[in-house]
Amino acid sequence: MRVAVLGAGAVGARAVRQLASTPEVERVVVADTDAERATRVAAVVGEPGRVEVGAAGSWSAGADVAVLALGPGEHRPLAQQLIEAGTSVVSLSDEVDDVRGLLDLDAEARERDRTVVVGAGFAPGLSCVLALHAAATFDVVDEVHVAKVGTGGPACARQHHRALRGEALDWRDGAWVRRRGGSGRELCWFPDPVAGEDCYRAGAPDALLLVPAFPAVARVTARVGANRRDRLTAHLPMLRPPHREGQVGAVRVEVRGRRGAARDVAVLGAIDRPAVAAGVVAAVTAVTVAQGTLVRRGAAGLAELAQPVPFLAELARRGVKAAAFEGAGTGAHPEVAEEV
Amino acid sequence: MMSFLRRSLLALGVTGVIAGVLRLRGTGGVPPQSGGWRELSAPDFR
Repeated sequence: MRVAVLGAGAVGARAVRQLASTPEVERVVVADTDAERATRVAAVVGEPGRVEVGAAGSWSAGADVAVLALGPGEHRPLAQQLIEAGTSVVSLSDEVDDVRGLLDLDAEARERDRTVVVGAGFAPGLSCVLALHAAATFDVVDEVHVAKVGTGGPACARQHHRALRGEALDWRDGAWVRRRGGSGRELCWFPDPVAGEDCYRAGAPDALLLVPAFPAVARVTARVGANRRDRLTAHLPMLRPPHREGQVGAVRVEVRGRRGAARDVAVLGAIDRPAVAAGVVAAVTAVTVAQGTLVRRGAAGLAELAQPVPFLAELARRGVKAAAFEGAGTGAHPEVAEEV
Repeated sequence: MMSFLRRSLLALGVTGVIAGVLRLRGTGGVPPQSGGWRELSAPDFR
């Protein structure tokens, strides 16, 4: 299989490295608006002849799958061009408008027998697969609550900054509810060493990807970790340039549902450097798309498309390991606790 | 001199009140009282 990666930043570089270490991948083409950066990534990964630098106009030529690991904004038009050319797409955008635009390509992608995987990074991405895996233990899924802490490269840090001043989209009793970003503080408990972090509503696309995967779900929320300085400065331009890459981050997915007549909760999580985990998720997704082992064609998130058990097993083999919270005291989601 | 002192005390007081409000607002949360995280392994993937 041949895979093209557009974007040679913190996530794109990790995706290229993962793809280059996959025996089934014959050729990886990496391209970037900064050609020097793409050349540097190809050189660092090594394997000349197998990993090549793509030219601006022809980076995706002959590729079975294209991974879009560039910043937000251009994912929808690029994906449309790619599926028209017969190439399936894996997008890592976590920007709400990008995700909406990509999901709108569902009918066209199905018609062309191609796949557009939307939000195939750390969160959304790994979070969607964890939600799907946790949901499999329930007869009925009532609620899914996602929280994420940490950022990858500079584009991810900028998106986190924008998301805190954006409008949060919650799914509540069959309708979309818009809430102010930066509101709704909740202390979320992630796997160690991240542990407890304050998380807030934000302009995150997780609910857009999770609601179609669980048709009976009553509530879906997404929160991101932030401190008071982040919230205070969210409405200002970034006061200093974003870091080249963030520290260890984490994702946590709480699924509530029913098993027979009993209500229960399952909490899954993972820790990793967000850019590393996102690169691995993107690479595994691209390989899965090329192998044709997703649940269906079309445009959707991993919660609708992935088979969670083999997907998580492959992530674990590559070093991205999920964890389950076991024992009492998982801490009811505050909005739920009010009603239970 | 007295005016400077009064203003300084007022500024400190206002800062304290704002910090108190910021600290007390919000529901916070309770850390898990028992249990812990277990890494998913091969049997979980069957």
